[in-house]
Amino acid sequence: MSAIHSSQLSFFAAHAPFDRMEPAHLLWMLERMSLAYYAAGEVIISPEQGAVERFLVIKQGTVQGEQNVAQGGDADAWLELVEGECFPLGALLASRPVAGVYRAGSDTFCYELAAADFNGLLGLSTAFRDFCTRRIANLLEHSKQLIQAQYSQSSAEQQSLNSPLSAIISRMPVSCAPETSVRHALELMYEAKVGSIVAVDGEQRPLGILTLHDVLERIVLPQIDLEQAVIGIMSRQLTTLQPQALAHEAALVMARHGFRHVLIVENERLVGLVSEKDLFALQRVGLRQIGSSIREATTVEVLQGAAADIRRMAHSMMAQGVAPEQLTQFISTFNDMITVRVIELECAASGLCDALQQAGLCWIALGSEGRFEQTLNTDQDNALIFTVPDGMTAEEVRVQLLPVARRINVALDLCGFPLCKGEIMASNPQWCLSLDEWKQSFSSWIMHGAPEALLHASIFFDFRALYGAQNLAEDLRTWLARIARDNQKFLHQMAENALRNRPPLGVMRDFVVGKERTLDLKLNGITPFVDAARIFSLAAGVTHTSTIQRLRLSAPRLNINAGELEAWIDALLFIQVLRLRHHDALSEQGRGDAALDNLIDPERLHELDRRILKEAFRQARKLQSRLSMDYGL
Amino acid sequence: MISRLLSWLRPAAPALLPGHAARLAALRKGITPDRDADLEQGRIVVVDVESTGLSLANDHLIAIGAVAMQGGRIVLADSFEIVLRQDVASGKDNILVHGIGGSAQREGVAPEDALLDFLQYLDGAPLLAYHVSFDATMLRKAYKKYLGLDFRHAWADLAYVMPALFPAPVRRCHALDDWLKLFHVDNDARHNALADALATAQLGLMALRAARAQKLARFRQLQEIEKGQRWLGAAG
Repeated sequence: MSAIHSSQLSFFAAHAPFDRMEPAHLLWMLERMSLAYYAAGEVIISPEQGAVERFLVIKQGTVQGEQNVAQGGDADAWLELVEGECFPLGALLASRPVAGVYRAGSDTFCYELAAADFNGLLGLSTAFRDFCTRRIANLLEHSKQLIQAQYSQSSAEQQSLNSPLSAIISRMPVSCAPETSVRHALELMYEAKVGSIVAVDGEQRPLGILTLHDVLERIVLPQIDLEQAVIGIMSRQLTTLQPQALAHEAALVMARHGFRHVLIVENERLVGLVSEKDLFALQRVGLRQIGSSIREATTVEVLQGAAADIRRMAHSMMAQGVAPEQLTQFISTFNDMITVRVIELECAASGLCDALQQAGLCWIALGSEGRFEQTLNTDQDNALIFTVPDGMTAEEVRVQLLPVARRINVALDLCGFPLCKGEIMASNPQWCLSLDEWKQSFSSWIMHGAPEALLHASIFFDFRALYGAQNLAEDLRTWLARIARDNQKFLHQMAENALRNRPPLGVMRDFVVGKERTLDLKLNGITPFVDAARIFSLAAGVTHTSTIQRLRLSAPRLNINAGELEAWIDALLFIQVLRLRHHDALSEQGRGDAALDNLIDPERLHELDRRILKEAFRQARKLQSRLSMDYGL
Repeated sequence: MISRLLSWLRPAAPALLPGHAARLAALRKGITPDRDADLEQGRIVVVDVESTGLSLANDHLIAIGAVAMQGGRIVLADSFEIVLRQDVASGKDNILVHGIGGSAQREGVAPEDALLDFLQYLDGAPLLAYHVSFDATMLRKAYKKYLGLDFRHAWADLAYVMPALFPAPVRRCHALDDWLKLFHVDNDARHNALADALATAQLGLMALRAARAQKLARFRQLQEIEKGQRWLGAAG
């Protein structure tokens, strides 16, 4: 006779992976489980106990895993498991002893299943097996489904940009008579919760449009009289399209002119309105059109508009839960295009002599831009490599280039890429160098390994060509790959430096957090991966600069296990997702791009996200263990 | 008190169906409670009952929930839950306490069968409960009434064993809920017999662990420290 109380089932149903298991399998498991008690501080499993004999699920309390004890001393490398989490999966699957000690952090009760039954359950339940064998990937999928569920409506509504506008317009625009007072027009917009209002005449012909965007500039700042007729402050230059026109034409019109609304008219009468937001819901590929608008831009102002468009589109992609790899790629691609166009325009405007251009100039992107990992709040990191034409000195070339570089930096700033506070920009004489000078600088960093040199290396060694003579950058890259690989001492110093930044794990129910109870996702989460990948790539002679490519290409050369590699990449991508979602949330609150930070409060994360984040940090620790093993640290 | 005595003195000869009588006879052989059960390896059953009310004299048994501990663990499969069929459902206030509705009460198992089932489940294992006097009295009354059996079992009372083993927090803990709260034992379904038995068993696991630390090995030693604690309580 056995009686399983429903409260036990509901406990399991609240935690992954049990929530996905079939009830029959869950019952099968429960009937074979026992409940054990461990006093605070008591060892639950240790390596000395030999091959693991039971699978544990924490019913209540906390369990601390002290890892790498075998390697000695690294007592801080532990993880904390809480209610609903299970362990020790790796050891159970491999029928081996655990690698570290698991100890009760507080009075703890665990459900326990014998190893034989654990194996039975693996055979029985696909959901359970999937979870155990692909832990982080599985959790991530779980989380992704949650996100997609949140946005399912928008994806269900996703249509192609080839649909006619008539299929997109969902409602009549809010309209008013031209003589309506500004106050009343604003009230109408407010009541209808819309971002624009169109003035029409008696025949429904559009006369002007007022958008929320105009309110600040045309109403609030000039403090105009709200009783005057609204038509006086409306945009009279209207862009109109027929309902038969395709969505991408509207996207193009907006991208080209920087308008946010296009009026749809039929026989001169207003029949609808398409806003940028409507189009972005169907977005993905209207990008080519935006691209051509950048390429054809003739003034920095047009590029400013394009940069703003790209940002808006990135926000909308974030909101739709687009994968971080795609999103950062999107941002990098368009930022590259804008930068290239800015350089072209400024070079032409400054009359930079052809001799120099022909001899060879290469604008290089550094740091996160160099790694194709820009988000919305990255400032400029760039430099110049040049060739010294016969009969000139490097200094003479530099004197000519610096003013142009300055113009470019300023123009980029106007386009929303703030000037670098550390002056790591092409307009800084220190970073406007001939190929030989670059090699000298790099050499001296590698040879001396001073703290400043290591810092520079972490920014400059991520360079990639963005504009001009690619061969200069390639030459420098090949040279660097050869020099760095042979310099173990330097790599050792880089590794030592990277290991100073430890991803947080544990301490009282989750993460080590600062006074503000926040966690820096970039510094604590992303940087360990980026730093390790850079060192791996230098050691393996990989010339790619993106962190994921560096990891992928270095792994086989450094004999890194493929499963381990995928877990690292998943972990990095997940942290990146959280970071972008955090940025999106801040933007929603009205923060400007420059004010986006990477500080999150782990307490406020969804339970599943918190678990994955912990797992992601655990992966960062594993990556660092690998690094410390490679360099005997 | 008088009525309680009277109820015990009442001629105890319910007319048993032949099937029940035979089953009882067979089970009786095995119901010698094992006072010497090994705390570590032996089987100990933690029980909780629900009744029509809190009066030992006038109220009677509605449900039994129990779970076994063995090898220092609660064995989930080795658990027991049964609702005794009531001819008249208990009052609304009472139903709100344990959540066993009127129809569930009327559709319960025939009391004779339920009590025989519990005897069989028990299999001579000693019993652990919180406030034994209540559970023991309800069970004894029921066994007497339906089976004519004098159910005298080996019991230990966590209400005394816990303060004896965990003297520091004793001032703050009087009721089961105090202990559950102290040790953060969650119980989403308080006053469900099985859920309460399970929560009580979690305290039981802690008690067994503390007993082992004090080199106590047998169930009877739990009964001894209970006695000591009762004496202390009376003296204090």
